[in-house]
Amino acid sequence: MYEVTLSNVNYSYGDQRVLQDITFTAEPGDFVCLLGPSGCGKSTLLRLLAGLSFPSSGGITLDGKQISGPGLDRGVVFQDYSLFPWMTAGQNIVLALEQAFPGKKKDEYRETAAGYLEMVGLADAYDKLPGLLSGGMRQRAAIARAFAINAPVLLMDEPFGALDAITRARLQDLLLQLWQQRQDERKTVFFVTHDVEEAILLANRIVVLGVNPGTIKGVFEVDLPRPRIRQELYHNQTFQTLRDRLVTVLYENILSELDAGQIVASQGDGI
Amino acid sequence: MNQVTTTSNLLFITLLAAILWPSAGPVPWHLLTVAIVVKAIDLIMLATVKNEASRRGSSDVSAIILAILLAWYVATSRFIVLDKMLFPQPEAVLTLFVAELPDMLKGLVNSLILLVSGYLLAVATALPLGLLVGWRVRLFHAVNPFTKVLGPIPPIVYIPYAIALLPSFRAASIFVIFIGAFWPIFINTVNGVFNIPKGLLDSARVLGLKEHTLLLRVILPGAMPSICTGATLALVFAFVLLTAAELIGANSGIGWYVKNFADFADYPRVVVGIIFISLVVLVITFGTERLERHLLRWRN
Repeated sequence: MYEVTLSNVNYSYGDQRVLQDITFTAEPGDFVCLLGPSGCGKSTLLRLLAGLSFPSSGGITLDGKQISGPGLDRGVVFQDYSLFPWMTAGQNIVLALEQAFPGKKKDEYRETAAGYLEMVGLADAYDKLPGLLSGGMRQRAAIARAFAINAPVLLMDEPFGALDAITRARLQDLLLQLWQQRQDERKTVFFVTHDVEEAILLANRIVVLGVNPGTIKGVFEVDLPRPRIRQELYHNQTFQTLRDRLVTVLYENILSELDAGQIVASQGDGI
Repeated sequence: MNQVTTTSNLLFITLLAAILWPSAGPVPWHLLTVAIVVKAIDLIMLATVKNEASRRGSSDVSAIILAILLAWYVATSRFIVLDKMLFPQPEAVLTLFVAELPDMLKGLVNSLILLVSGYLLAVATALPLGLLVGWRVRLFHAVNPFTKVLGPIPPIVYIPYAIALLPSFRAASIFVIFIGAFWPIFINTVNGVFNIPKGLLDSARVLGLKEHTLLLRVILPGAMPSICTGATLALVFAFVLLTAAELIGANSGIGWYVKNFADFADYPRVVVGIIFISLVVLVITFGTERLERHLLRWRN
């Protein structure tokens, strides 16, 4: 169980400030959703956590150690392109296992990979190429791979963003179920989304980011018991209040622009 | 029974009638055999293939071949409207083809040794170099100006110099084929690496792949679509250069065969040589397409 600390993180791309002064600590086993409109730098923040880019200033530590690059202590799931299309679902997981636990027998890797595929409900997909799987199945396999390397930190960049509503709901449930499975070694999760309800359903805490430059506009505790039941949630007072507050913070910019006299016509032209 | 099948059948029957017409003289058995084989292949395709587009394609192709045979036969053997020396009769050509086949196959072996040596040498060098140059930005910037200058030079211009420079004709041909095949493979491999979706490379990096694993299991397959394009192009170049080199300096081989008999104005043998070369190309193309489909089977 890793604690993840971001202290005064700034990130600029050329002259453009993408992230400004991000300070935040995720407790070990925390489920953090990074919520914000497009262009707020939430994906950039996730890349910094993954070690794919480095902050211009400030520091990020995992379990007290500074991030020096990508590493197998973090499992990452992207919106797409997580799996290599020329390898079967099983081979994709085996490749990850070979990196995480080198020096084992081929059969052992195969067995472990098959086990993780079964865990996400893809028992029959071991020999299928990603191109033959549906979007939801591909993300299941990507999740299986992220869990297979047994990393204490899980980073997810809008993993369900391209899925239809029903598939998305199924995968949200699957993710929560896997995350909750083992109380003693729960992963610390960072989950990027622009969907308010998804954030409330999943997170312990929601970090709302604003645009230009990306700053933390607020951190919200999600005070809802688990397991959270989707149907009941919508009638829950805490849920509704939190949703309204998040929406207000999230759309503050747009609302203030409206106040400033920028007219959005009813037909939608002007957006 | 669709329109094209009818056309193919009609042409087949017309060709048979033209060949077997009582006043036509001795029966051209070879031509008859070819016509029957073409039609038989078409019928087998129609009986076994389910896909409608493939069926139509098969009928179309057979119709075109039969039309060419018919036109060729009628124009040279029934109404002699074309110059007899420049346009040999199909039966004469086909008879010669059978007679010359052993010699041509022997020549083909010589040619293929040159082709395969030069081509494999190009693959073995251009592929790893292309992967490395595409992957290492600094190397790319160092090499790119040379690629830009050397790549577009038509390799044919090297032939006379290579023949003068290298100890044997064989070495010179292999060298020229190598140069001609090298650039398309190299350039397309580099481009292929560039065109790998950035997300896949991120995915590889977060898995902590070591560089050789990365090159072999991510960069190589990721660049494979472009590599296949380059390799196909390179094969065509190699074949053109092979024949060109043989026209200039060989004393055997399929290119030499055509050139040699053209010098003696033996046009039936020239036509036989050309038909043989096109059949060889057909077989090679078929093989490479199969290989490409296998290598890129993950794409559909």
